[in-house]
Amino acid sequence: MASDRKIRVLVAKPGLDGHDRGARVIAYGLRDAGFEVIYTGLRHSPQQIVRDAIQEDVDAVGLSILSGAHLALTSKVLELLREQGAGDIPVLVGGLIPEGDKDALRRLGVAGVFTAGTPISEVAAFITSHVATA
Amino acid sequence: MGRSRDEMERIERAERAWQEEVVEPRVQRFKIPRCPTRFYTPAHLRDFDFLEKVGFPGQYPFTSGNHPFEAWRAHAEAGARLGVRPDYGVSSAGRYSGYGTAEDYRDYLLAMQARGSRGGPNVAFDLATQCGYDSDSPNALGEVGRVGVAIDSYRDFRVIYEAFTGERDIDKVASNFTINAPCAVILAMLAALAEERGIPLAKLRGTPQNDILKEFIARGTYIYPPRESMRLFRDTLVFCRKQMPSMNVNSIGGYHIREAGATRAQDLAFSMANGIAYLRAGVDAGLEIDDFASKFTFNAFGGSMQVYHEIAFQRAARRMWARILKERFGATDPHAMMIRQPLTAHIGCTSTTLQRPLNNIARSVIGGMAAGMSGGMPSAYPPFDEPLGLGHSLASIQLQIDATRIMIYEAGIADVTDPWAGSYFMESLTDEIEAAAQQDLDRIEGMGGAVAAIENGYMPRAVGQSAYERQKRIENQEDFVVGVNCFTGENELELSLNQTVEVLYDPEQLRSAEERQIAKLADLKRVRSVAAVSRSLATLEQHARDVEANLMPDLIECVKSDATLQEICDVLRGVFGEAEPVKL
Repeated sequence: MASDRKIRVLVAKPGLDGHDRGARVIAYGLRDAGFEVIYTGLRHSPQQIVRDAIQEDVDAVGLSILSGAHLALTSKVLELLREQGAGDIPVLVGGLIPEGDKDALRRLGVAGVFTAGTPISEVAAFITSHVATA
Repeated sequence: MGRSRDEMERIERAERAWQEEVVEPRVQRFKIPRCPTRFYTPAHLRDFDFLEKVGFPGQYPFTSGNHPFEAWRAHAEAGARLGVRPDYGVSSAGRYSGYGTAEDYRDYLLAMQARGSRGGPNVAFDLATQCGYDSDSPNALGEVGRVGVAIDSYRDFRVIYEAFTGERDIDKVASNFTINAPCAVILAMLAALAEERGIPLAKLRGTPQNDILKEFIARGTYIYPPRESMRLFRDTLVFCRKQMPSMNVNSIGGYHIREAGATRAQDLAFSMANGIAYLRAGVDAGLEIDDFASKFTFNAFGGSMQVYHEIAFQRAARRMWARILKERFGATDPHAMMIRQPLTAHIGCTSTTLQRPLNNIARSVIGGMAAGMSGGMPSAYPPFDEPLGLGHSLASIQLQIDATRIMIYEAGIADVTDPWAGSYFMESLTDEIEAAAQQDLDRIEGMGGAVAAIENGYMPRAVGQSAYERQKRIENQEDFVVGVNCFTGENELELSLNQTVEVLYDPEQLRSAEERQIAKLADLKRVRSVAAVSRSLATLEQHARDVEANLMPDLIECVKSDATLQEICDVLRGVFGEAEPVKL
């Protein structure tokens, strides 16, 4: 990654969940924090997300899921990223994630799980450090 | 308030003197830039006309309430003596349920009935159903039976209603459906069931959410573009009024818009704008305003911890809606002018915190106080474990219902109607909120109304931006959330609850629902008559192209032929097109 390039993040809403408050807030916040943010809008399929992530050459992917479909959708995104040779892109998950599922997501290969009440600055710092060490 | 000019001037002089002699010295003594509190006097309400602005409960403009007392209040004491679990307000919100397959949900309903639940179902549909996809669609991956029950066909719908027969038949209990984009299809299923059971459509009772416009602003389960969606709304409205006159038409949601991030004024303005669009649809279809507006309901207004503001908000909302109905639409029946909502003020799920979640009980009680002081049941809502995961525990529902009872029976919150009526402060705040909302409503009307303000992105974007503003205020500690951005130090005790309490839904059923539902759908596709499905869908498509046609009779034929929900929605997608997701 060229050092003068902004960190590029894809913020995506996979599945059918329409609760996009968190996704939009994160998108605005990361943009204000100096990131380049691509927000997919609602109902982006795992296939579309992976296509966008590769085409846009993003440094990180953030998935926002509040419907309970987080395990199925996240594992699909990770699987497709690996298939496309883009398994090194860190994937973050935010939303309504029951405590017991956080470890399951990490085991799938998710870089970080963020739930309600997380300051945007914390997410931004997490992405920056992950991209720097990638 | 009928005070003479002379008296008002005396009060204003006294206030100026008080500012100088009492307030300023105290502000200086504490070395703060300004007085952190406010005090209201009659001077804040100079030309206040009580009858015009407030009036009596149950009379125009309904500021102080729809009724002198709500139906639940009539027998509240008797209910306590008999120990009857109330079947209204908070407990009916608690009855909002649905998960897994129709069989799972039917069994759950039967179990709840065995525990004393009365009344009809308040059905939560899974997201695939809400978005018009069958369970075997790739779009449904991971979503089947999650946030509600999966309905792929009329056969699924019929299974749910195996829990409602005899004394609980569909002409005796009310059916509530939290569904919007495919609402017409679900109503068609209800009509088909009535026909099958030999029950006249006119006897059906219930409330579909059927509020598609707010889906574009918040919630997101739209299918077709806004204008085409409004055509389907019109078809349900006209069909309901002519064939199922006991059914409510819709449940207009302010609360979703607030939860998505709208400010209080935006919530009120956008909800009124949406309501006006639905009223216009009825008028344009040739219906009488008094006849159909009285069958509009509202989901719930509210959604913040600012207790005074939420009380004022309820009062302002009732007055605005009443004036819109009377002055703009010429309604004469008082019932057509009322905001009928099962839950009034409440704190909103976004006011609850994942951090120290038991604090949410305190929060919900404050919301309940606001409700009780603004014309509603003092309902503690939501259950404290709302932000912990997906689904409430029975323990949290018991605590919620008991908190509500404590407010009613011990605190006497509901013993006075509109206790703030005439308060210099509350009347000022009510006026302020109304004026701010009116300004935004005028802007939306200037754009051409709610549909136009969705098409041009104004309302959805405004909500997202307000959500971000709120987040920034929290991160900058301009707004405080206890346990989240303040009082998080090591001396705080991180109270949490042992989460082994009984959950409402069987986790194993939830896990396997998708597989079981897809297998059922495959069976259906094997046994049904393909010719009958093709015929009914072809007729639907033909009539969908005719804007004047009402699609409800065709939809009833489609569901009776065992066409799936997605097959029906796909035909309409082909004719109407699909809505574009809103970008940032």
